[in-house]
Amino acid sequence: MLVQEAVQEHAAAAAEGAAEKFNAGKTIIEHVSNSGHDHPLIRLPHVLGIDFSVTKHVLMLWLVAAFVFVVVTWTVRRYLKQDRPLPTGFMNALEAVVEFVRDAIVQPNVGKKWVNTWTPLVLTLFVFILCANGIGLIPVFETIGLLDHFVLHTAEDSFLKHVMHGGTTATANFNVTAALATITFFAIIVAGSRAHGAIKHWVNMVPHGLAWPLYIILIPIEVMGMFVRPFALTMRLAANMTGGHIAILAILSFVFLFTEMAGRAIVGIGVGAVVSVPLAVGISGLEIIVVLVQAYVFALLSAVFIGMAIHVHH
Amino acid sequence: MPDNDPDFFLARSLKYLQENIRRSGPAAGASYTLIGAIILLGGIGYAVDLVLGQAHWFLLGGLLLGLIVGFYELAKTVFRR
Repeated sequence: MLVQEAVQEHAAAAAEGAAEKFNAGKTIIEHVSNSGHDHPLIRLPHVLGIDFSVTKHVLMLWLVAAFVFVVVTWTVRRYLKQDRPLPTGFMNALEAVVEFVRDAIVQPNVGKKWVNTWTPLVLTLFVFILCANGIGLIPVFETIGLLDHFVLHTAEDSFLKHVMHGGTTATANFNVTAALATITFFAIIVAGSRAHGAIKHWVNMVPHGLAWPLYIILIPIEVMGMFVRPFALTMRLAANMTGGHIAILAILSFVFLFTEMAGRAIVGIGVGAVVSVPLAVGISGLEIIVVLVQAYVFALLSAVFIGMAIHVHH
Repeated sequence: MPDNDPDFFLARSLKYLQENIRRSGPAAGASYTLIGAIILLGGIGYAVDLVLGQAHWFLLGGLLLGLIVGFYELAKTVFRR
């Protein structure tokens, strides 16, 4: 009944005038992108011309970081306090994840000598991205929004109203994935420098024993390749996380588009029940797989690039 | 454990799947780098064209350079000993 009321309310609003027409593209972008600086959750002053106000994706980053820190620390501390060193409950799952990242992702790429050095970084990236992707699938703010709309009725400038603007998946923001890829970028340099020395790492970037004119071509290509790798990581993760959400919202927007076209809410509800909701449920199921695969691929590629800096072959 | 045991068969299949995914890591890296190089350098070329307000020569140059860098990274992966 709530859905029917909402759709009828929307249809009534749409009938008021052409200016109020449902704009699917705008609505979808508003739901996947970061909240704008006109709707900051916490307004902070400008520093050196940069607005430091806390937006939705910044809040999500904090929440994910706090969640991962608290859950992992609490689980490990509880395990260490046990008399018997046998993992139980959630610690079993955590241990399986740690072993999987170490044995299946890091060790085959960086080798046994460096596995303990680079597992913590790759594991942190994996767990953080997995949680950030996963929390993006849970309709927390949508539920709060419904509660606010039908029960709480808070003021227009309330925190709850502000928190409704913008998407929930922080990893769908290119700035977030760029920051994660920057960590990998510096990890590649540190890995090569630790394995071969600060100068030898840069010398190793190009093959040895070639005619000098070839180096004029190869050195710029290698330097560009160095920046292209983190760029590929950035684009791939953010694009994959955004794409799934856009597909779901585009399918769900059929409800409102068909309501407007027919001028009757029942048509929109029918399209929603027969087409939109089943399709959206199916794509949401795929999104669960995407959440896992994207975290895995980011961790795997980071390990591969770090391994390439350690084991140089030309 | 016998070979016809369904649990063992599933475990062995998953192990092979994991091994294949692990081996495909460098290839995935090279493929993403190829696409990333074309998009990044093509994008830089497009931005330079916009700033200079001229025809799309920098875009073409960027795309070509992206292909060269991308294929170089791909070749490094393929011919890796």
